[in-house]
Amino acid sequence: MAPMLRRRVARAFLGVGALAVLYGIAAEIGRGRLPDRVWLGTHYVENVQLLPPYRSLLEETAFLLESGILLNSIAVSAGRVLLGFVLGAAFGILFGLATGRATRAEYLADPWVTFFRFTPALALLPLFVLWFGYGEGSKVLLIAASVAVVTLLGAHQGVRSVPRVYLDAAAALGASPEFAFRKVALPAALPHIFASLRIGLGLGWVTIVVAELIDARMPSLGYLLTLAGAYPRVPTMVVGIATIGALVLAFDLLAMSMHARATRWMRRTAG
Amino acid sequence: MKKVPTQRLVLGSASLAAMVLAYTLLSNAGLFRPEVVPPTQEIAVAFTELVVGTRPPPAMEGDLHAGHHMHGSDHVGTLLQQGVTLQGSLAITAARVLFGLAAGVPLGILLGVFMGWSRRADDYLHPIYVLLRSVPPLALITYVMLWLGHGEAHRLIPVVYAVAATMVIPAYHGVRDVLGTYLVAARSLGARRWLLIRKVILPAAGPAMLAGLRYAVAIAWMTAVGAEMLMSENGMGNLIVGGGLWASRTQTKADPAVVIVGIVALAVAGWAMDAVARAATVRLTRWVR
Repeated sequence: MAPMLRRRVARAFLGVGALAVLYGIAAEIGRGRLPDRVWLGTHYVENVQLLPPYRSLLEETAFLLESGILLNSIAVSAGRVLLGFVLGAAFGILFGLATGRATRAEYLADPWVTFFRFTPALALLPLFVLWFGYGEGSKVLLIAASVAVVTLLGAHQGVRSVPRVYLDAAAALGASPEFAFRKVALPAALPHIFASLRIGLGLGWVTIVVAELIDARMPSLGYLLTLAGAYPRVPTMVVGIATIGALVLAFDLLAMSMHARATRWMRRTAG
Repeated sequence: MKKVPTQRLVLGSASLAAMVLAYTLLSNAGLFRPEVVPPTQEIAVAFTELVVGTRPPPAMEGDLHAGHHMHGSDHVGTLLQQGVTLQGSLAITAARVLFGLAAGVPLGILLGVFMGWSRRADDYLHPIYVLLRSVPPLALITYVMLWLGHGEAHRLIPVVYAVAATMVIPAYHGVRDVLGTYLVAARSLGARRWLLIRKVILPAAGPAMLAGLRYAVAIAWMTAVGAEMLMSENGMGNLIVGGGLWASRTQTKADPAVVIVGIVALAVAGWAMDAVARAATVRLTRWVR
């Protein structure tokens, strides 16, 4: 097992490293050859580095770190995503468990779940701004809304996909429906719920990029990207995109390890 | 057997009707300002105006100044002046979604099958895929615009990217999970590479890919509308935010009636496309049972 893992890690580094070297070469070749004047529909913008070399990326990162912009932006945006995620997930999982458990509740909720499932959450943004104001409320609630729909479906499907036999067996052993739900259905639904939580986290980050254009104030990653796009300053843009990507990756890994911990009792194949 | 669907239908439509009724009563009760919570009849008016594409002329000249003029009609008026209709916007967005699916699905499946098929390709490419996938598609939009100019490309590429990134996973796992007994059996029966891919791997990975497709449809709508809200002069995203590039302003003057009409239209369109995908799934995987 160990040599295989070592080979995989080596190849992973080789693959990513090759890409990084390729980028460096492309940036060197492109310097002076790529156009630095770009037509933006209404006007030209000058001095655009389409492929900023590593040196300017590092300088930009150093500047953004030293001035505190990057760390503050990360804190503010991640805080919004997390708050919205927790609110949305709590609501979604509770409702999903309810509709998964009681058929009547499912039928009552069905048209609404279908409706919100196919509504792109971003489309709700203008409405949320009107209802909850320009401040934190509309951003956090927008993320909560997009997370709630996904987790509701996940929890619902999780409860529904528990094999009938498990519940029958529990009942035959004398478990009350309450007990069977808590000790059998709920743990068996966990993989579905965790899968939907991971999707919800990703959606939260997609949402924040757009949501932070409302009442745009500086410490926020969405606005950092927009500002970089307005000038345009490509090194800032690339650092911003890479930061968001790294955060999404970190959150995803965190969710995966939590999933693995919570379902340790299940027999599963590696990976 | 017949009882369950009728109960579902009755309870479902009852809950729908109850909610609409409650909203109508609440919005007409005078508790909220109508420009924040528009009454149901105003939403209906906005809907017909956006579908017909013209506004009925005011009954009397003086009415305009007598406060009869609707508050939020600004938004609808601006849209109508630009010749924007609901069905037109929906068609434009649907075209972008379909393009994103048409280009992104084969791309994602190709990459997923390749990584699932070859251990070596998986070792090299999977880390790169995970890094790229982590970037939200809409974060790329301004960078793509710098490269490809202010055309259609920077609205389409995020959709293609989002769809492809979504489709990789089901294709990958679909192929990966087959590579067991089926493969050994087919190989021992003498199946060579192409036959193996066509007759064993693709059919076995099919259900997972089709399930992924339904998810990709939802993602494509979300990304297309988001891209239009940020950077487009047409489509549903533009209809909802009331024209112009949202990225270039910090305030919105959207009329909630139009937003609600837009959301309902998007939900119906998304549902219809999902129904097609679901029907395709049932047809194409009939042999599974």
